[in-house]
Amino acid sequence: MSAITTPEHLENVEPLQSPLGRHIIQPGAHLLIRLPSKEVRQVRLDKEPGEKTINFGKFGSLKQKYLVGQPFGLTYEIQQDKSLLVQPPQRLEELEDTGATNEQIVDRGEFVQPLTAAEIELLKKSGLHASEIIKRQIETHVNYELKTEYSKDKYRKRKEAKFAKQITVLQPSLFNVASYLFDKDPVKIQYLRVDTLGQIANLANLRPGGKFIVIDSIGGLLVATALERLGGEGTVLYITEADSPPQFPIIDLLNMPEEHTTILKYLDWASVDEEHDPIRAPIEPEGEYRSEGQKGRYEKRRQIIEAYERLREELFAGEWDGLLIASQYEPFSIVQCLTPYLAGSASITVYSQYLPILTELQSKMRPLPAYLNPSITEAWLRQYQVLPGRTHPLMNMTGSGGYILHATHVYDDKKALSALAGFRQRLKQRRRAKEGAGSSEGDQGHMQEDVDMEDTNSTS
Amino acid sequence: MWSTARTVGEGDVVIVWMTRENMVPLRITAGQELNNKFGVFKHSDIIGLPYGTKVPSHSGRGFVYILRPTPELWTLSLPHRTQILYLADIAFIVNSLDIRPGSSVIEAGPYARFLDQLLGYTFPLAGTGSGSFSHSVARTIGNTGHLYSFEFHQERAAKARDEFARHGMTMVHLEHRNVCQQGFALCDAVDSGRSSSSSVVFLDLPAPWDAVPHAKIAMKKDRATRICCFSPCMEQVLRTVTALNQCGFTDLTMYETLLRPHDVHHVPKLVSIDTIIEQVKLHEIKKEQRRLEQVAASDRKRNSRKRKRQEDNDIAEEDGPDPDLGTGDQKRRRDVDASSLSTPLTVAQVQVEPNTGPEPTSSLKTRKESRLAALATSTPMSKPMPEVRGHTSYLTFATLLPLADGNFQVGSSMVANVPSVDATSTTLDRLIATIPEENLERALTG
Repeated sequence: MSAITTPEHLENVEPLQSPLGRHIIQPGAHLLIRLPSKEVRQVRLDKEPGEKTINFGKFGSLKQKYLVGQPFGLTYEIQQDKSLLVQPPQRLEELEDTGATNEQIVDRGEFVQPLTAAEIELLKKSGLHASEIIKRQIETHVNYELKTEYSKDKYRKRKEAKFAKQITVLQPSLFNVASYLFDKDPVKIQYLRVDTLGQIANLANLRPGGKFIVIDSIGGLLVATALERLGGEGTVLYITEADSPPQFPIIDLLNMPEEHTTILKYLDWASVDEEHDPIRAPIEPEGEYRSEGQKGRYEKRRQIIEAYERLREELFAGEWDGLLIASQYEPFSIVQCLTPYLAGSASITVYSQYLPILTELQSKMRPLPAYLNPSITEAWLRQYQVLPGRTHPLMNMTGSGGYILHATHVYDDKKALSALAGFRQRLKQRRRAKEGAGSSEGDQGHMQEDVDMEDTNSTS
Repeated sequence: MWSTARTVGEGDVVIVWMTRENMVPLRITAGQELNNKFGVFKHSDIIGLPYGTKVPSHSGRGFVYILRPTPELWTLSLPHRTQILYLADIAFIVNSLDIRPGSSVIEAGPYARFLDQLLGYTFPLAGTGSGSFSHSVARTIGNTGHLYSFEFHQERAAKARDEFARHGMTMVHLEHRNVCQQGFALCDAVDSGRSSSSSVVFLDLPAPWDAVPHAKIAMKKDRATRICCFSPCMEQVLRTVTALNQCGFTDLTMYETLLRPHDVHHVPKLVSIDTIIEQVKLHEIKKEQRRLEQVAASDRKRNSRKRKRQEDNDIAEEDGPDPDLGTGDQKRRRDVDASSLSTPLTVAQVQVEPNTGPEPTSSLKTRKESRLAALATSTPMSKPMPEVRGHTSYLTFATLLPLADGNFQVGSSMVANVPSVDATSTTLDRLIATIPEENLERALTG
């Protein structure tokens, strides 16, 4: 390793992050805990952990205060007194092939393992360490020595998943949260897989400082993605059918700093209708204020209504940088409804778990001159086990992670249209001339395609 | 990064979209012209137009779209686009490494893949290099983030530096350096109160295993940090995994991700086999009808010839065949006539039925109308594109965990790590008694 020199760009280094950054577990934080069984559980620490505990059933229970101040990502062994012991990182071991095969192994059920479940339970109750129980099981196992090294390794791992009192604290990052939701409750997030979510974020060009409209029927996962990628700069406008402020447990789970979530604004769908005049309680009493309290209440109401009106104006003023949709409603109607407020070159990204929904959307958008190249893609993801000498794709994979339609909002220039009309005329003339000679269609490239699109559009 | 103004300004980088296979980046300079098969476009005509405008060529014969660059469009606009396949990889890496505004990221060797192809290629418009990943990361980390970018090829480094400057990517710190030999020269200088270390490392190198130990030095130690190595070959993955394992990285996983584009086609409504059955039956009748007409026609012809002959014969001789029995031909004809009359279908029906299909006489319809009619009865259907990318690269991920040296104990614990057998209870003793003698012996000595 070379000596560390100071490069010129050290001038630009960031100030040391405060120890209270998102990578350190805070009181009141949401956590994802991975158990030895590979199951991931969502827990929340108390704001004042005190002596409070979290119980993981057979895997043990721990005192919350021991997690506070710890970095995310570590694996702990839960001790008898509910304290934690950090586990050193486990290295992958190359297994030596002993040449053993399974030819001598005959499955005789209970005869291979003389230790009964009740006996193992007693061993556990006696406070014997998991590794000790597993050791005993191995020793009493009649055929253990006959197994191949790979098979022995598998056996040990299976037993560890059963008896080890180990937990891993995963950082509730967008990736981990999305993966957790996909495993736990895919229906709620409409089977939106984490790789598809990443593609949506990139295709939608989510970036700090942008203004994005988000239509989300997937429990706030799309809103959370937008908030995470804006980092507190810009605006996320969420349009909902509910008349109350949106509540998204998924956003809470990400432990986002408060200033990152204040950029989330919401409007109800009726407010999107420019003609709509919302029915409002009066902002002034029909006479004198009866009390200071009443005056305060009216003042508060007035502020809310004013903020609402400002937000509506902001929507109608247009120039939004992108539209993201993962909705339970018909997507074309949403796209059409909000297109007038999109900036030129704005990105339109629609998610659906069903391909036919996007197929129909594509066929409706394609003839319209406001949408450039609406195209449908599907993400494909395969995970591999990478163990020395045992690298292969996982035996199970998800069938689909959903579909994305992406298009760019463009302005149809009138001059370009007339240019097109001129082109069309020339095309007709050329065709007429060709018809005599009986020649086929020439090389008109994309213009021919667009002429056809215009034809369809003008009559539909 | 790129201009966020509503309208195109002098000096802006725009993406000129011609078709979905054909788009180029363009730096708008008054007085210059863009000349392609769609026409001549004057830069001065583009200045002041809103981004996303469809622009006619100077002659009015064609048009292009002027789009605001995004990292995705930028990748697509490169001359040797390995294009949308990288969207899947980049999106997955950015997401999986938890890159977000303010993140500090190290990348090494991202230009080689593109610039090798680009060197010597005349590219008069705007950029030369690619750095697809750099652009995507720069967009995501924003102005509060840092991207430490390392390129070992001097010429490429210079080109990339120029390009980042042109694109206003001030968060990128590019250095010409061979990280496999010289390391990253970034360290976790927490003590000094300033840290240029990184929480995320991305290696796109032919031999990432050489850079892994250096990467470890450059990674933050106060938190779990992530590394991703991008390699097309499995052999590279295996060597990388070995290096990562030896350096103490954990949580090793590997992914492969691809993008499957789907095409939408308008498929006419499929015809029911019942209709086909009827059509075949009608065809059968029509064929028979035609045959009968032919027979009738030929009979008429023969009869007229015969009559003529008979007239001639009558003159010649008095005797002839019995008119009631008729000739063989005549008999057959009578049978057929009777059978065809007994079928319920008449000639009229035969003629009308086939013409009730959806296609009216084509001469009355223009091409446009028939196209619309076809569209109205057709259904949009999608299918994966026939030829798609099957492999880009393997993405190997690993985590470097923060560990206080030797101090693994959190909170007070009265229990030793592994309880010794001496600490067993009477219950356990009883249990041990049930274990076969020889096994127990092995357990205690082993």
